[in-house]
Amino acid sequence: MLVIPGKMGTLCDGTTRREFLRVGGAALFGMNLPQLFALQAHTLSTAAAKGIKKGFGQAKSVILLFLQGGPSHLDIWDPKPDAPSNIRGEFKPIKTKVPGVLLSETMPMLAEQLDKCILIRSMSYTPEGLFNHTAAIYQMLTGYPPDKVSPSGQLEPPSPRDFPTAGSQISKLKPPDVSMLPFVEMPRPLQESNVIGKGGAAGFLGKAYDPYRLYQDPNKPIKIDDLALRSDVGEGRLKGRFELLKGINSSMKDLEKAVSSTAVDEYYAKAYDLVLSGKARSAFDLEQEPAAVRERYGRTTFGQGALLARRLVEAGTRLVQLNWPAVANGNPEVDAFDTHAANFGPLKNLHCPILDRTLSALLEDLDQRGLLNETLVVAVGEFGRSPRLGVSTSGNSNAPDGRDHWPYCYTALIAGGGIKRGEVYGKSDDTASAPKEDPVHPTDLLATAYYALGIDPAMEILNDLNQPRPLVKGEPLVTLFG
Amino acid sequence: MKRLVLPAFCGLFVLSTFSAAGTGPSKAKLEVFPQGIVMSDPREVRRVLISLQQADGSKLDLTGASKLTTTSDVVRIDESGVIHPVKDGVAVIEAAANGMTARFEVTVRGLSEKHPVGFVKDVVPILGKAGCNSGPCHGGAKGKNGFKLSLRGYDPAFDYGALIQDLSGRRFNRADPAQSLLLLKPTMGVAHGGGLRFPVSSRYYNTLVQWIREGVKLDDEKTGAVTGIKLFPSDILMNKSGLSQQMLVLARYPDGSERDVTLESTYVSSTPAVAEVSDSGLVHSLRKGESTIQVRYQGQVVSVPVTALPDKAGFQWTQLPQHNYVDRLVDEKLKRLWIVPSRLCSDAEFMRRVSLDLTGLLPRPQDVRAFLADPEPSGIRRSKLIDRLLASPEYVDHWTLKWGDLLQCNRRFLGEKGLWTYRSWIRKSIAENKPYDQFVREIVEADGSTFGNPAANFFRATREPKVMMETVSQVFLGVRMMCANCHDHPFEPWTQRSYYEMTAFFGGVALKEGAQSDEEVVYEKRQGYEIRHPKYGYEVTAKFPFGNPAQLDTHGERRKQFAQWLTSKDNPYFANAIANRIWSYFFGRGIIDPVDDLRPSNPSSNPALLAALAEDLKRANFDLKHLMRRIANSRVYQAAYTTNEWNEDDGTNFSHQRPRRLAAEQLLDAVALATGTALNFEGVPKGYQAQQLPDSKIAVGGFLDLFGRPPRESSCECERRGDISLGQALNLINGGVIADAIADPDGRVAKLVLSGAGDQKIVEDLYLATLSRMPDSGEVRLSVDYLKGGNNRAERAQDLLWALLNSHAFLFNR
Repeated sequence: MLVIPGKMGTLCDGTTRREFLRVGGAALFGMNLPQLFALQAHTLSTAAAKGIKKGFGQAKSVILLFLQGGPSHLDIWDPKPDAPSNIRGEFKPIKTKVPGVLLSETMPMLAEQLDKCILIRSMSYTPEGLFNHTAAIYQMLTGYPPDKVSPSGQLEPPSPRDFPTAGSQISKLKPPDVSMLPFVEMPRPLQESNVIGKGGAAGFLGKAYDPYRLYQDPNKPIKIDDLALRSDVGEGRLKGRFELLKGINSSMKDLEKAVSSTAVDEYYAKAYDLVLSGKARSAFDLEQEPAAVRERYGRTTFGQGALLARRLVEAGTRLVQLNWPAVANGNPEVDAFDTHAANFGPLKNLHCPILDRTLSALLEDLDQRGLLNETLVVAVGEFGRSPRLGVSTSGNSNAPDGRDHWPYCYTALIAGGGIKRGEVYGKSDDTASAPKEDPVHPTDLLATAYYALGIDPAMEILNDLNQPRPLVKGEPLVTLFG
Repeated sequence: MKRLVLPAFCGLFVLSTFSAAGTGPSKAKLEVFPQGIVMSDPREVRRVLISLQQADGSKLDLTGASKLTTTSDVVRIDESGVIHPVKDGVAVIEAAANGMTARFEVTVRGLSEKHPVGFVKDVVPILGKAGCNSGPCHGGAKGKNGFKLSLRGYDPAFDYGALIQDLSGRRFNRADPAQSLLLLKPTMGVAHGGGLRFPVSSRYYNTLVQWIREGVKLDDEKTGAVTGIKLFPSDILMNKSGLSQQMLVLARYPDGSERDVTLESTYVSSTPAVAEVSDSGLVHSLRKGESTIQVRYQGQVVSVPVTALPDKAGFQWTQLPQHNYVDRLVDEKLKRLWIVPSRLCSDAEFMRRVSLDLTGLLPRPQDVRAFLADPEPSGIRRSKLIDRLLASPEYVDHWTLKWGDLLQCNRRFLGEKGLWTYRSWIRKSIAENKPYDQFVREIVEADGSTFGNPAANFFRATREPKVMMETVSQVFLGVRMMCANCHDHPFEPWTQRSYYEMTAFFGGVALKEGAQSDEEVVYEKRQGYEIRHPKYGYEVTAKFPFGNPAQLDTHGERRKQFAQWLTSKDNPYFANAIANRIWSYFFGRGIIDPVDDLRPSNPSSNPALLAALAEDLKRANFDLKHLMRRIANSRVYQAAYTTNEWNEDDGTNFSHQRPRRLAAEQLLDAVALATGTALNFEGVPKGYQAQQLPDSKIAVGGFLDLFGRPPRESSCECERRGDISLGQALNLINGGVIADAIADPDGRVAKLVLSGAGDQKIVEDLYLATLSRMPDSGEVRLSVDYLKGGNNRAERAQDLLWALLNSHAFLFNR
């Protein structure tokens, strides 16, 4: 179902890509999956070696802090102290480590780490029709707008026809070099109302590429039964079983050969290694972290989730997606970012202290360990919030102290994996309503992440109808790379 | 792609020497094709194919290695061997290659007559060849930089409007054509994001200059539109890899004239690893195998099969027994490709395979013992087994599951009661072996309450006319119409218009609430059923698809007429689609694959075989069991997976069986049978097998979903996944399903150990229960040694069962 890595024939930009290879089901090609992976590794490294592309393939992993709900950019990343009061809100700006760049007073710890990242203050898109969370999430994570949206802006449940979520694409196109889970999602599924998991699954790639779903609170002891050796099967017994299995398989040599194209033995070897080496299990074991580190990240679901994310990428996971724990449910007392009502109190007392502590800890920790250079960190929501208080932009009702959905202008934080440090990219206008310079579409952000991992965002894949489609219809922000 | 010319040349050299020695110089003869060329349009050019007739009857293409010369001034021959008309007269041209020559004549007449440039005939092909109307450029859904053309020129009227009316005609400067944007852009006279497409004063350039000078005229559809294209040669056979063949494409016009459009056509190879094709139609074979070259020009599509034989010598055809016509037709193909088929599989392997394919379940150990001990000849035993399985209740379960997938038995669409009602109807239809055409007619014609008339649930699951049509088309015709919802299919003959014409048959189908809770009623609307073309807004009248001439009786019920047409024996798609689909369930791939994507550009690996199966099915009045019996009895189905040196690379011609991972339900049911445990699902009685579940809303997110159970959100065969993943391997070696089943206190191991069975008995029983065969002596030794290797006998036996359940021989249907 994929084409690596370029497009067919002459491109509109006038270049011709020679490393053209179309694979309609690897078997058709007489190529098994491991061979396919090797070939990809080869073609990708050639692309990087050509040196045309700054930062291409520098990131080994991605940590996505997905701030679902749509955090208010004005009250967190992009303060507008000179705007009228019904826009600027209640918070004051503070200075940061980067001269001339202000953050909201809600983010004092991040202010000290801002020299490690870039703020993109010109995230922007115009949705078609009514927009709600799920459509926005789907677009952001798959790179494609959903094809079916109900008049109220709701989507159909996840379907095998869906475009694959980014982590699934990455699992397929760039599987880990070591025996490790390629894609982990926690601590809850993507959700809006009753639509659960839309935009968070492998879609037409097949469930084999779905995320490893750790829907648990990492601030509590984590249970990972399938990765832990069963108590009734010790290490010695499992080894004995595998020896026996090898003997049984090898008495049918012809069958071994006939099934080799399915890579069944490779998957078994990886699974065996995963269970026996204890690497994944150990990565999930936060008890191994010093108490000070755990405190630094914050003893919250989000904080410990981010710490776990660091441990997972250290062990080889390609993409860790940490969804903001609280889901929008209209209750202002919960720390969900969907602040249609009571925007300020909860932000100041609930959300931001957690976000501030965790995000700053993650940047600091990754940098101290030398991991930041090979780990791309992205923190972003599916949209921002309306600059004007108490207006309705999405068809939802809003309290006078609430802000509604606002996709036209918002902020993303991006760091590591070759991204420059201590800069701001793009500019919003005086009320943070629209980009003033360098607008960035969420699909451009996604393309940038693929690019950082060494995956050509323009490569063609075949969708469920076998139509060729670019991996994502966005342009990577190459200028962000140092 | 130009680099292909060189190896072509090298390859030729070797073979032509051989050829000359074999036939002697007196017999060797150059052939020129086509003969009798007449040219009259000054913009026209012609090419010829030069080939050498070889001793074995095959032809060797020498086009690239030949030289054309003429002393005549009637034509001019350029450096690439292309013939241009110069003045009226007859030219004699000499072709020289490989030390031989041949002569042919070209007539030029009427050159001085008027030959105005036509938009459809002359300009659109240029826009195509230069890439202007391609998807990434101006042919994309939103065009590029304010200029949009139809994708690959499928809508010339739209393109004409786009060129003439947009920018208030600024694209043309009629006083000074060279200053037109249409020419400045592609020649980079002004900045152009798409770069240089053709140079100033090239043939394309001159044609466009003349078109602008003549007043940018739209030609008459009657003279400008191509009526067909012809391809030469029509079948390409390469004796070895590394050879090349130039293709020639002629377009025919309504006035009977022809034009050489080799350069302007688009070429796609279905298997580029076997045969590559250049932009100019040069086919180059890379290794043995088959490919299809699809050639497109102005909406016309024609395909040519390419076969490259293996390079090695020593091929000898061994005729294996042929059980029925299936074997004969497969053998014919294999012989041609130098593929030697595999021999029959063992009786035990056959029993396991045919049980899984017909009933979804492993054979029970006692049945395996009885089958293997039966003294009757193997062939007779196998046929009897097939009949027994076809008549079994498990057959009904298995095919209810398959049809439940395709017809979207899913409580999300149907509600709980609707689900069970629909499923019962499917079950009953399968149990009584209802003729397939009748089964389909009952669905497509269904009206009334979804409780009273269960088949009406089809419309409850599909709901909207477009989805109804798409589903009917994909499931019963094997044709995916979805793409044509938004645009003409770029490579296929079906258009956006035919999408809506077909949808119009379902335009009146509507649903309303019934009297009972959760009941819906399907009915035909009396008004408001018109289907409109989304782009042009006119009302589309229902019309049978695929160029079928059958006329609609406007007074009759449209849906009934559609059902009659659909299920008629005269509709080749209907029988082909189901024959191909059924075939795929016995081999893991269709003769055309994917099975629900039949289209000219998806080549059939054996057209004669598919035609024969479809014919057989029609003669049997769509008795699906009859077709399954025929397939299961064939030697081709009963072949081993073990390959030989001549068929180990074959993946498409059914020269051997290919192991398939057990489907999700098969795997879970096989685990239950092998371990002697009963499954226990919520919402259904205990002991219900996985394949008996009514839909995919039971045990969601568990083992079955991990192994690719289709969620039944669409009717695509692709929803069921057969691939292998890390998560699956983890689950099998360390997950709860296997671990609990092997250690079950009421399970097979516990009972065996408690009964005091000896080592040999344990090993034999476990082999029979998992791999459906007896272990050989080496296997017995290995396992017995393992059992003896520890103190806890039950644990050692569990380990053996674990290893067998994780073995290739268990996980695969082989």
